[in-house]
Amino acid sequence: MYTLLIVQLAVSGALMGMVYALIAYGFQLTFATSKSINFGQGELVMLSAFFSLTLIDSGLPYWLVVPGGMLFGAVLGLFVERTAVRLSLEQKGEGWILLTIILGLLGFSAAENIWGRDDRPFPTPISSDPLHFFGIDVTPLELSVAIGVLAVMGLVELFKRKTLLGKAFEAVSADRDAAQLMGISATRTIQLSYGLSGLVAALAGILVAPITTVGPTMASVLILKAFSVAVVAGLDSGFGIVLVGLFLGALESLTSFYLGSGWREAPGLVLLILALAVRPNGVFGKASIRKV
Amino acid sequence: MWKRLLLIRGAELAVLALLAAIPLMVDNSYVLGLLTLLAIYGILLIGLDVTVGYLGQVNLAQAAFLGLGAYAAGLCVANFDFGMLAALAAALVVGLIFGTLLAFPALRLEGPQFALATLSFSALSATVLNEWEGLTLGAQGLQVSRPPFLGMTLDASGFFWLCLLLLALVWMAMRNLLSSQWGRAFEALRDSPIATDAMGVGTYRHKVAGFALASGLGGLAGGLYAFNFQYLQPQSFGWDLMVILLLGVVLGGRKSLWGALVGASLIALLPNLLSNRGLFQIFSAIGLLIALAAGGQGLLKKTTRPFQALAPVAAMGILMVGSLIVENTEDWRKAIFALMLFSVVVGLPEGLMGFAARFLTRLFHIEPPRLPAPASLDTVLPKRTANGGALLELRGLERYFGGVKAVDGVSMTVQAGEIHGLIGPNGSGKSTAVNVISGLYVPTGGDMLLRGKLLPVGSLFKVARTGVARTFQNLQLFGELSALDNVMVALKDVYRSPLPLVLLGLARAEEKRASAAALALLELVGLGDQARSLAKDLTYGDQRFLEIARALARKPELLILDEPAAGLAHPDVNKLMDIIKRIHERGISIILIEHHMDVISELCGVVTVLDGGKIIAAGTAEQVKRDPKVIEAYLGVVDDPAGAAAPAQAG
Repeated sequence: MYTLLIVQLAVSGALMGMVYALIAYGFQLTFATSKSINFGQGELVMLSAFFSLTLIDSGLPYWLVVPGGMLFGAVLGLFVERTAVRLSLEQKGEGWILLTIILGLLGFSAAENIWGRDDRPFPTPISSDPLHFFGIDVTPLELSVAIGVLAVMGLVELFKRKTLLGKAFEAVSADRDAAQLMGISATRTIQLSYGLSGLVAALAGILVAPITTVGPTMASVLILKAFSVAVVAGLDSGFGIVLVGLFLGALESLTSFYLGSGWREAPGLVLLILALAVRPNGVFGKASIRKV
Repeated sequence: MWKRLLLIRGAELAVLALLAAIPLMVDNSYVLGLLTLLAIYGILLIGLDVTVGYLGQVNLAQAAFLGLGAYAAGLCVANFDFGMLAALAAALVVGLIFGTLLAFPALRLEGPQFALATLSFSALSATVLNEWEGLTLGAQGLQVSRPPFLGMTLDASGFFWLCLLLLALVWMAMRNLLSSQWGRAFEALRDSPIATDAMGVGTYRHKVAGFALASGLGGLAGGLYAFNFQYLQPQSFGWDLMVILLLGVVLGGRKSLWGALVGASLIALLPNLLSNRGLFQIFSAIGLLIALAAGGQGLLKKTTRPFQALAPVAAMGILMVGSLIVENTEDWRKAIFALMLFSVVVGLPEGLMGFAARFLTRLFHIEPPRLPAPASLDTVLPKRTANGGALLELRGLERYFGGVKAVDGVSMTVQAGEIHGLIGPNGSGKSTAVNVISGLYVPTGGDMLLRGKLLPVGSLFKVARTGVARTFQNLQLFGELSALDNVMVALKDVYRSPLPLVLLGLARAEEKRASAAALALLELVGLGDQARSLAKDLTYGDQRFLEIARALARKPELLILDEPAAGLAHPDVNKLMDIIKRIHERGISIILIEHHMDVISELCGVVTVLDGGKIIAAGTAEQVKRDPKVIEAYLGVVDDPAGAAAPAQAG
């Protein structure tokens, strides 16, 4: 019975971990093209969830809310790219770190004032009555998270490999200067990557909102764990993040069982610092050669 | 000279005296509280500026160090009955220790990874402070009593004077430190970590030291914070405070003690600003005017991009409109910080003090401190007697990248006192060979010996310390440092004063010797009159010469010049040849990688030719020029060796 409880905790945690992996995937997309990430991505997740909630409240059916929310996330992603990232990339500086933090703060404050500081439930047509697999309970809601995450990641990867635009994306990721010499606009591609990144972040928000509820702080812990997943797996590790996401989700669920829920963020943070110390390119990442 | 000293030191003293006198003139506990907070924030921001300004890294852990220091001081008083000074020392030490611990993993990290490491550390420390209830009482909060200071009980103004005194001490110590070799090293590793190691300065130790120092000051400020508020809660040291601190440093101005003070005053006053609607409206209007003026000027002079000029105006415009519409500005606190920070980062990257300093220097005609007379070259670069014999020996050196054999079994000997040419078509492995010798790459196989002893492998820093110096084909100068500082930072055998003496300002004599020596080297390469120019502002040719002067500051036995003539105009090439000859006269052995065949012919006694990672010819310049294999490597066809053109300027 005790073992079963542990497995149950690990499985539920791992399914939550898929959300971390999806947000981390958003980091990978922008890091590939521009070596930058949005430090305010958590606020993007949260704002998209709030926006989707507003769509639901206005009576839109769920199957329209999902694309609507994702579109909103993509627009926010484009806004971040234009206001916080482009200038510092042009200046070859790292000002984008500070600027994306600042935009996140702005988004947080806006959400507090527009939608209020309280957590609100997020209605969903997907049932949360548990299904039983070998004595373990899994809700369709949790399964929908996993399926949604894998589906959108699969689609984006397919897009990158099969379409011309996607190939431009890969070309810029491989070598920005060379791609530019071949007539591919790096700026447009980086824009595209930020749009896509916002899109997957919004989906993460919509998928996780029914489980966590929606509030201004809903993503502040989520985002730390997404950072952990991205760094531990490596910012260019591809599907490695899914494995790390599952692992971290299970680990924190067990930590909170053994040490108390206040400690549930600790393993991710420790892992992140350790990974940076030991393998800055991540478990699945590739080491780069320094050139002079 | 005196005017400079008088104005700058005078301003410092005047501000200090004014701050110290306020409690005597105004009897108002609220004002006193603000002033105390200002002094505490001043110490905190001076620390934060070391990482954000000098090391150039986004540090998101300073608020956490404030918290750790505060809890350390508070708990020491509560549990061990520490006095004020002992508790403050404990807070400082806790900051130093945790800073060092965090610096080690964060060491190899740059930019986003560094920011992430510090972000996680903050979150982790918040978790521990919250959850370790046995020690910290968690979210419930910790009461701290203000302990006696050397047996005296301090009232509010006494405590303020203590904070002010500490701020003044920190100010002086940091001014001494940052204008010494340490400050230069911090800036050097920000601009080029690779060159910092290659010049034997050591990225490693300086990054750890800089970060630990910043954290130590954070801890000290935390101790004062604890005794000021006398009540601690973990959430006071969270993300909100961190953003405010960044606002302080960026708005005040990076790399400036005055900037930290201005920033500290602003963030100490911010809460008042936000609670008073009229004041806030005036403030936003001023912000909008500054943004309009700066943006308009930038656009007219075409010094800024349209985005840089317009975005701050838009942000300040939103702030202005918001201040008129919004009832309770307190609710929008974060958005207001965000808009202000955004405008400053985009539109005024040098901050208020950076801007003001330039203005004031012009207004008062303050000249930079005068330079000492250059030292004689004989003391800086004593003539070495070339006693012959093998200096550098490569035995079967290999370096593979995956399946590419960039260097494939190279064996050669550089005799002491010679200029050894290393040539070959592009991609022949010359630069890789140099990168292996100088320690950037670990060799895949083979041995390297310097004077018969094995050369360290895979560490630029260790190789630099053996007496091998190099320049870089793609320039690796410290762009934000002056030409003089670029040379000074690399100088060997000058900086001997231990850290405490540097902090006390007792290392000025060696600073003076160092700048005299560096000037001599600048004159050697013809840059004597450019000593104050920033490296990034020099012409391309002068930058190449500066690289050579900087390498010479290592007083090397062996100097490796990696394509020093690449991209130089003809007169500069002649100047370069002249410089190389003069360096050679000092008895320094040189490996010269070059494509200009006339340079090689004129300077090199021995030439080794590489192709495909292997040596295909060696001998005098005349010999290799006629070698059929060399001609084939460069031109691809073997016609009539006697009639074929020399491979001048090939590639």
